[in-house]
Amino acid sequence: MAANAGNKIRNAKLVLLGDVGTGKSSLVLRFVKGQFVEFQESTIGAAFFSQTLAVNDETVKFEIWDTAGQERYHSLAPMYYRGAAAAIVVYDITNAASFTKAKKWVQELQAQGNPNTIMALAGNKADLLEARQVTADEAKAYAQENGLFFMETSAKTAINVNDVFYEIAKKLLQGQQVQNPQGGMVLNQRPTERTVSASSCCS
Amino acid sequence: MGSHPPSSRTALEPLATLDPAALAGLPPSSPLTVRAAALSGHLLYLGTGGGKLLLFSLHDEEAASPDFLRLLPIGATLPVSAIIPLPSVARILVLAQGILLLADPLLSRPVRRLGSLRNVSAVAAHATADPSSPSCSVAVAVGKKLLRVDLELRDGDELDVQTREIAAPVDDVKALAWVGDSVFVATAMGYSLFSSGDGQGVDIFTVPESSDQPRVKPLSGGEEVMLLVDNVGVVVGTFGQPVGSSLVFNTTPHCIAEVFPYVVVAGDSKVDVYRRRNGAHLQTIPFARSGPGVLIVASDDDGRGKELLVIATAYKRNYLACQVFCYRKVSAVEQIKASLRRKNYKEAISLLEEFETDGEISKDMISFVHAQLGFLLFFDLRFEDAVNHFLLSETLQPSEIFPFIMRDPNRWSDLVPRKRYWGLHPPPKPLEEVIDDGLVTIQQALFLKKAGVDTVVDEDFLSNPPSRADLLELAIRNIIRFLCASRMKNLSFPEMEGVDTLLMYLYRALDLVDDMEKLASSQNSCIVDELESLLDDSGHLRTLAFLYGSKGMCSKALAIWRVLARNYGAGLWKDLSENGSDEISIDKKSSEGIAAIEASKILKTSSDEELILEHLGWIADIDQELAIAVLTSDMRGKQLSPEKVIASVDSEKVVIHQRYLQWLIEDQSCDDSHYHTSYALLLAQSAMKAVHMEAKYGGKDDKEIDSDVQFIYSLRDRLQLFLQASDLYDPEEVLDVIAESELWLEKAILYRKMGQENIVLQILALKLEDSEAAEQYCAEIGRDDAYIQLLGLYLDPQNGKEPMFTAAVRLLHNHGKSLDPLQVLEVLLLHQY
Ligand SMILES: Nc1nc2c(ncn2[C@@H]2O[C@H](COP(=O)(O)OP(=O)(O)O)[C@@H](O)[C@H]2O)c(=O)[nH]1
Ligand SMILES: [Mg+2]
Repeated sequence: MAANAGNKIRNAKLVLLGDVGTGKSSLVLRFVKGQFVEFQESTIGAAFFSQTLAVNDETVKFEIWDTAGQERYHSLAPMYYRGAAAAIVVYDITNAASFTKAKKWVQELQAQGNPNTIMALAGNKADLLEARQVTADEAKAYAQENGLFFMETSAKTAINVNDVFYEIAKKLLQGQQVQNPQGGMVLNQRPTERTVSASSCCS
Repeated sequence: MGSHPPSSRTALEPLATLDPAALAGLPPSSPLTVRAAALSGHLLYLGTGGGKLLLFSLHDEEAASPDFLRLLPIGATLPVSAIIPLPSVARILVLAQGILLLADPLLSRPVRRLGSLRNVSAVAAHATADPSSPSCSVAVAVGKKLLRVDLELRDGDELDVQTREIAAPVDDVKALAWVGDSVFVATAMGYSLFSSGDGQGVDIFTVPESSDQPRVKPLSGGEEVMLLVDNVGVVVGTFGQPVGSSLVFNTTPHCIAEVFPYVVVAGDSKVDVYRRRNGAHLQTIPFARSGPGVLIVASDDDGRGKELLVIATAYKRNYLACQVFCYRKVSAVEQIKASLRRKNYKEAISLLEEFETDGEISKDMISFVHAQLGFLLFFDLRFEDAVNHFLLSETLQPSEIFPFIMRDPNRWSDLVPRKRYWGLHPPPKPLEEVIDDGLVTIQQALFLKKAGVDTVVDEDFLSNPPSRADLLELAIRNIIRFLCASRMKNLSFPEMEGVDTLLMYLYRALDLVDDMEKLASSQNSCIVDELESLLDDSGHLRTLAFLYGSKGMCSKALAIWRVLARNYGAGLWKDLSENGSDEISIDKKSSEGIAAIEASKILKTSSDEELILEHLGWIADIDQELAIAVLTSDMRGKQLSPEKVIASVDSEKVVIHQRYLQWLIEDQSCDDSHYHTSYALLLAQSAMKAVHMEAKYGGKDDKEIDSDVQFIYSLRDRLQLFLQASDLYDPEEVLDVIAESELWLEKAILYRKMGQENIVLQILALKLEDSEAAEQYCAEIGRDDAYIQLLGLYLDPQNGKEPMFTAAVRLLHNHGKSLDPLQVLEVLLLHQY
């Protein structure tokens, strides 16, 4: 941090969406702590993490919301993706149904979310090639059509995990899509409070 | 910090139990069913299904049982569903059977209705109202409307009531919370919030079907709100934005209270305590279930500092079971102490971190706990961890560690503060004893383990018992680490002395020669008395010499350096390495050299003439340059007496004499003719010797000749320059020395000094055949007869030399005009031309 004293730290709300068991929590754990556990406990509600990432001489502080993915708690998701600067939609390459679910999430984000949200599609468990059900080409084509950026990742082997976040950070800085940390709720009628709540955003 | 509870954790401890019916003196025939409970300071309010309000006063002290204060019936048909203390307007708000009632805090007067509202489904007080203002607001859900009721206390205990609509229509409201400017509304559909100012509403999220009763609970003194979905608590900020991970409870909560930093959740037959910050489950308080119904928990919502929790069993059917349990927050310190008592260091450390982030423990106490942890770990032979904690403590004084290093009583005994900590460890004693005792404990534990008995001894030690020597070294290395870090702190002088001296002591124990010498030679606060004989005995003479040196004990330091130089010189170290004699000689030389360098360093700043001259000799024997540097140092306060120096420096050491005199004359502007003469003589002798050598060995290798010639030239240059520049030496003495030599130019200079013009001219004109110089000299003399003399010399050089006509003609050509023609003629005639 000290090395970055000179430049601004930009806060960016980031949300992970996708079916249960696709590896959202594992991706976050890999990115935030550099660890992987074979028996990752299922997320309930949502888990919050923060992690900074340096891009050139700028620093992005990701405020990461790792959602549960259970259908039962689907209605909570908007609270987490509302106002997000970035979203990573995760599917499991060994599970075709999870890819279908991922497309649903993309649609929902396109319909309900902030149009400026940077969306990434992550095909996780790329280490399990022999069990692959979703081809990279298919996912890539879909991503291209929908203006997402796409990577196959493995939380287990760490392949492409940091890269996804790094890529997002780069895009954020390019587009200056960075916003205040608590800007979850949009209450147009109350602009004053919103500024107050954002006052702690930069160091 | 896993989510699995350390079963031993006690975040809340029982304070008192009360049987409300019995305390209130109710006959067993009229049972009580507690439906609501509230705490306001030390006042406990209970509301019953039979329409009674009861008031008790709790005491903070253990064993003091609660007092019954009053019972106020509000009507048998009005079962109480909520009690909300409103201290700022001196009222208690009661929700019973859909109507709102107000009571005074001591329940001394009959209740009065608040407005004419009916079918009130939920009510909540504004959580962040200024407690000092005599007003407050409550949000009320009535039918499809959301209202705010503003209450203001007037003189004479009169209450001014204003009711306004915030929003409508609002679905069947189940629960409310009012935090900041937002009123959080829970309906069967989900959660939303309304601005208490303009009534604008926003949905937060909908709840899944078939979930339990929605609940909202303000947390953290009204900065956040917890919204429940099943057994999950979603925490949101005052604008409904999520803040932090969800809390996951292991039962569906019926009732929630916050006792900062904990969230307390009541389920069917137990109460669970979680840590607010990370949702970790800490403690379970089980209750024997005696019938249908739930548990009710209540704390004083208004304050963060409030320590109390009440748990009321609201089980029906068996009124005897209707009891109220009071719990008190166990202070951070007590919790940590409890885990340390069980030697559960990991738990203690995680508690410490936890309380630190929650702001539940003072900075000083954190330091105190680190020190306490350090001592316990130390006695458990976990030296590295121990020192890590010592270093984390800002209040631990380095002197507290001294008794581990040096047996009491010692020079620093009085310095050691008598801190008792928590009495969990014995007073510090010397390291060896700590280790011996610790090893005995490990042995015993091994024995017990074989017998199947559990002990608190570290598993690692049991599976792999350490050796005494390893432990000792580990302990010493870690204390060294501690003392090194302590040196950086601002310590009192005596403590600093202790730190440095004991540091040296420990370095010595491990024979860390480099560290010893580094410490000894740098600025340090070592007490020499404590170390002198130790270092001497163990042969750490260099360290001792450095130490003496750094303490200004020059003569002792020098004596050692001299001994060391002599020992190296005498080859006493030869047996150190058998092979490679080159190495030895280099070693020997450099070791000797180092002794001389160190000694000269001391002497350069010393003004002690006797001491300097005493040691100069051996230093010069090793390195003349060092001796010269000592003599010519400008770092001493008082200059040495040249007389003594000259007298005492070995006359064989010409270079030293010469350089010393040069320094005296050139740098110190000494104008004593005696030294000028000596200097001239020394230079002359050297020049002669050099010329002589050259003549003898001349004509070897070309290169060598070159450099030799160079050397002679520079010597002669110096001599000539000096002879010319100084007027203070005795030219005759010098002349005596070089009389027989070929140093003609020097001779010319000397004769010139003596005014022997004729001889000078002879040398210049005949010996050196430098007619230009000769004529120049005549010009200097400035008299015509000088030219005439020179002309004579040219015409009759004598010693069988041919007359030098060319030079003579040149002379006449150059100066003839100004010469007296008669005198010229005379000379010519004299020489028969
Ligand atoms: N082989 C493999 N397994 C993974 C990977 N990522 C996650 N998992 C496993 O998949 C399971 C579900 O992961 P989790 O992170 O809980 O998924 P989430 O429900 O999306 O958060 C866990 O057992 C993980 O160990 C991966 O990249 N490779
Ligand atoms: Mg998960």
